[in-house]
Amino acid sequence: MSDLMSIKGGRDGLRIRFDDSAEWGLLLEQLEQQLNQNQAFFNGASLALDVGERTLTTEQLTHLLNLLQHHGVVAEALSAGARETRNAARTAGVTARPLPRYPDSSPQVSPDAEALLLIRTVRSGQVLRHSGHITLIGDVNPGGELIAGGSVVVWGRLRGFVHAGALGNVDAIVCAMELRPTQIRIAEQFATTPQEAGPHRPEVARIAGAQIVVESWEAFKK
Amino acid sequence: MARAITITSGKGGVGKTTTTANLGTALAMRGARVAVIDADIGLRNLDVVMGLENRIVYDIVDVVEGRCRLRQALIKDKRLPELCLLPAAQTRDKDAVSPDQMIDLLAQLRSDFDFVLIDSPAGIEGGFRNAIAGADEVVIVTTPEVSAVRDADRIVGLVEAAEKGTPRLIVNRIKPRLVSRGEMLSVEDVLELLAIDLLGIVPDDETIVTSTNRGEAAVYDQTSLAGRAFLNIGRRLNGETVPFLDLTDQPGVLDRFLGMFGRRRS
Repeated sequence: MSDLMSIKGGRDGLRIRFDDSAEWGLLLEQLEQQLNQNQAFFNGASLALDVGERTLTTEQLTHLLNLLQHHGVVAEALSAGARETRNAARTAGVTARPLPRYPDSSPQVSPDAEALLLIRTVRSGQVLRHSGHITLIGDVNPGGELIAGGSVVVWGRLRGFVHAGALGNVDAIVCAMELRPTQIRIAEQFATTPQEAGPHRPEVARIAGAQIVVESWEAFKK
Repeated sequence: MARAITITSGKGGVGKTTTTANLGTALAMRGARVAVIDADIGLRNLDVVMGLENRIVYDIVDVVEGRCRLRQALIKDKRLPELCLLPAAQTRDKDAVSPDQMIDLLAQLRSDFDFVLIDSPAGIEGGFRNAIAGADEVVIVTTPEVSAVRDADRIVGLVEAAEKGTPRLIVNRIKPRLVSRGEMLSVEDVLELLAIDLLGIVPDDETIVTSTNRGEAAVYDQTSLAGRAFLNIGRRLNGETVPFLDLTDQPGVLDRFLGMFGRRRS
């Protein structure tokens, strides 16, 4: 990812933090590049924007919101230190509110090294999206979606949609106690689960030779 | 203070209205004061199923818009004085009532009743949001079909997101013969996916068609297995512990069930 902005996923959703000093036009250019490169990850996402202490006009914010909307991204909130920016946000039609603080992470840690642990059922119509790894204790039902920048571990049945490495990481893997997704994607590759019901055992999916292969956990760990 | 319970499903045609009518009747038969509300504005049915269509003077939209008092719109059941219906409007649509107005309406009803059952429209839009707005509990009805269960799963997520707690489940129209042949999802299959508490199982039963068309609840018919299932669900809603009708494993019950259709077990 770019060093002028960071995109992070947390329990409360995705967040973009824009660098305070970089030129705004350059930031937008980089953001557009990110959105274009990672359409699968961003389409349908809702984002919180953290513009730091920067002062932005209504026009600048409207431009940003249009850019996001064009890529299927909803800006659900905006955090700004400057009062002018907060006022401009209201005019542009996005809620200005302080965002909860994340614990400071060292800049050396790559975004997909951050993992999200959740204990729940992901039901039909629910989407879990995270820029790092996702560890889910629970089932993903048909119609539910997991979208991760990194790898996905499901301690349960994975019967919905899963996309690992959605930010382009071809080394991402998907493992589940019962791996029967309606569709699985890793980076740019995708596959479906064969109709005939195989044995229910823990399995791992990864990219090998430009396609997705699935093997039992026993075979994978060798 | 009444408990407000919304009956919903996501998918249409799985038996929400029949369930609401029968549970309302079952609870009133046991002496509870019950109001049933038809929240399916524009496609009202509950009045027909309860045989009260010709008594409607005012409806829920008239109440909300102040054309009558709540008491004037409530229709007493033909047989049970403890049971009342608040009918939907037929000439309006779902936008005629807001979630806040539903909450106000329920607040007025609570003091006079033990149970308020709300018959939700299908779907996940405004009508569904209205129907769950003031609910204390939610009951989801599904049939053992993949599409209905998928929608039920979606509804469970929405109900939990609306902070209404985990809903309970009624599996309607089970056909034990198909289940035993592996041609229909079993109750266990449905529960394994939805992972919520089971409130009741209702077998597929032709007597429901006749009772619904006649406007008489199936719970009055002691020979109707579905009627008995609804009676049991009413008792469970009332806090009693009643064993489930075991439709698949006990040949005795299965024989009786099949006997109603005049068939013999093969």
